[in-house]
Amino acid sequence: MNGNPKTNTDGIERLVKASQTGDRASFDELVGLYQRRAIQVAVRMLGDADEAAEAVQNGFVKAYLSIDKLKEPKRFEAWFIRIIANTAISQRRAARGRAEKIKISGDCESKKVFTPEQKEAGKELKEEIQRVMLKLSKKQAQAIALIGIEELPRDEVAEIMGCSTESVKWYVFKARQKLKVLLKDYLE
Amino acid sequence: MKNEKEQIDLLLRQNESEQLAGVNWNRLQTSISKRLSQADHSKTSTIKYRRVFKIAAGIAAIAAVVFIAVIIKTDTPPTVRFENGGKAIVTFIESKGSAKVEILDSNKQGNQGKDQSTWIIIRTSEPKVADNGQSRDENDFACLM
Repeated sequence: MNGNPKTNTDGIERLVKASQTGDRASFDELVGLYQRRAIQVAVRMLGDADEAAEAVQNGFVKAYLSIDKLKEPKRFEAWFIRIIANTAISQRRAARGRAEKIKISGDCESKKVFTPEQKEAGKELKEEIQRVMLKLSKKQAQAIALIGIEELPRDEVAEIMGCSTESVKWYVFKARQKLKVLLKDYLE
Repeated sequence: MKNEKEQIDLLLRQNESEQLAGVNWNRLQTSISKRLSQADHSKTSTIKYRRVFKIAAGIAAIAAVVFIAVIIKTDTPPTVRFENGGKAIVTFIESKGSAKVEILDSNKQGNQGKDQSTWIIIRTSEPKVADNGQSRDENDFACLM
C-alpha cells in the first residue's frame, strides 16, 4: 500500500490513535502509507536510496517508539517527516564516512534494495548529488530537499523544519547558490 | 534554455526518480517491520527491567531507612525521666557494670524563693579506682544540676 496519505486524513488519524494505544497492525498500515514519502525525503537529502532506506528504517523505529508523545494525531505527517529529516541529517556523517571508505577500497557493494543494473544507472549523478548535498549545512539540505517535494506546501515545510517560511526561503536560496557552484559541470 | 535554478531542481528530481525507481517497496516494508519487531522486543525488555529495577530500588530505600532508624536509635543517649517532670540524658561511658542513682532535694525551694540545685549521686557498685585507703566516696560521682 503506497497511496497518497493526504487522501484519507480521518483514516490516518484513526490509525495514529490506534498506534498510540499499542496497536502494531495500525502502525504497520502507517508504514505502508508513508514509506514512499519517507524515502523520497531521505533520498533528496542523502542522494542515495540505500542510505535513505537505512534512515527510513531508523526513522520509523523512532516514530514507533515515540508515537504516544504525539499530542495531535492530525499532525502526524509533519511530525513524522520531521523525524525522517532529522534522522537523515544525523546519518549524513555516517554516509560521508561510508562514501570515503568506498572511494578508498573501490568497492561498491550492492545492498538489498537495488539490483546491480539499477545501481549502475545514474550512478555518476547520484554520487555527485551525494557529494554536493554533504557540502550543504543541515538546514540548507533539509530546506532544498523538502521544498522540492511537490505535495509539501511551503508552510508545512516551515512547520517540519521548526522555522518561519521566510527562513525556509532563505535556506533554499543559500542552498541553490552553493549547488550552482558545486554542480556547474552539469549546468548548461 | 532553462535558468540555473530550474536546472538544479531538475537534477535533484532526476536523481530522486532514478533512486526511487529501483526501490523494492515490499522488501523495504518487510525490513521496517522486522526492525519494529526488534524495537518492540527491546521495549518490552526495557519495561520489564525498569520494573525490576524499581522494585529493587524500593527495597534498597526501605532497607536504608530502617538501617538509619536503627543507627539513630542506637546512638541516641537514653533519657531518664524523673517523677517531678524533670529529665536527664544519660551517657554511658562504659557498657559494663552497674550504678545506683540517687537524686536529692529535687523540689526544694532555696533562699529568696529560688530553686535549689539538685544533686545527683551516682554510686558504682565497685570503686573505679583501686582502693587507696581513702574514703570510697572519692569514687562516687556527684553532679550539680
